[in-house]
Amino acid sequence: MISIPMAIVPFDRSVLKVNQAILMTGILVGYVAGLAYHPIAYVIPLLAVMMLAAVASPSLNMPRLLYLRVLKPSGIVKPRVVQEDPAPHRFAQLVGAIFLTAASVFVVTGVLLVAWVLAWIVAALAFLNFAWNICVGCIMYAQLVRMGVLPLSREPAR
Amino acid sequence: MILLLAPLIAFVAIGGVALVLRVQRGGQRELVGSVVETSRTNSRLPSILYFTGENCTICHTAQRPALRALASGIDSNLEIREVDIAVEPELARRYRVMSLPTTIVLDADGQVTEINVGFASSDTLRRQLVGAGMPVAA
Repeated sequence: MISIPMAIVPFDRSVLKVNQAILMTGILVGYVAGLAYHPIAYVIPLLAVMMLAAVASPSLNMPRLLYLRVLKPSGIVKPRVVQEDPAPHRFAQLVGAIFLTAASVFVVTGVLLVAWVLAWIVAALAFLNFAWNICVGCIMYAQLVRMGVLPLSREPAR
Repeated sequence: MILLLAPLIAFVAIGGVALVLRVQRGGQRELVGSVVETSRTNSRLPSILYFTGENCTICHTAQRPALRALASGIDSNLEIREVDIAVEPELARRYRVMSLPTTIVLDADGQVTEINVGFASSDTLRRQLVGAGMPVAA
């Protein structure tokens, strides 16, 4: 029988959903507009900065702030609090940030095809998580923890 | 106009990864309906094999409490066997465990009836145990 008590962390998935919605919208609109006017590809570095900031600190997480200050109080987005470990989701965000940062480098150097391929990968993965809760970054996280590459995390939700 | 290829290339790349994951999990799905492990107790009741590991965060924060809630909510003497893949790698290999946590529901004959890759809630496991023949009070 199981006997080791462990704390379950409350975690609001709506923050992630807002983040994914912003990513998908930004990349889709930026791509379509960018076909006609290439400099719009600079939306990718903007999204990269947004993701990196979100990973760095909750106070810099713009989708979270948008959700907490506007979308949640107005009732546009309902809270979806679940009991789970937020660490895999933060890792997934970091992976998205890395992809977008790499894409940003290609934007700056003018290799727009590679930039948009990387951005579309992020958008597609965001869609998988948004629509079906399939978190590829979380799967990667689990595998890396299992291999001992990443340490066990006990950080609180944010 | 070469930029029109960007979404296509991205989707092909993701599709390839998804295909690999599907093949890996499909191999485990083939175990449903078969008896893999024979060293279980003779409880003559369905049981759960719970694959975990020291570094599995979600195992400790979510899956284990869910199993505790499940065990406390079932009148029968539910057998939950916790398997640390570092201690029993051979058993994990035989059940083709690819990620943690993994919970496997066995019926009274030790036949695999359900495989949950990732977190499985106590409600899900309870439903699966009933499906495997566990007598549970309504």
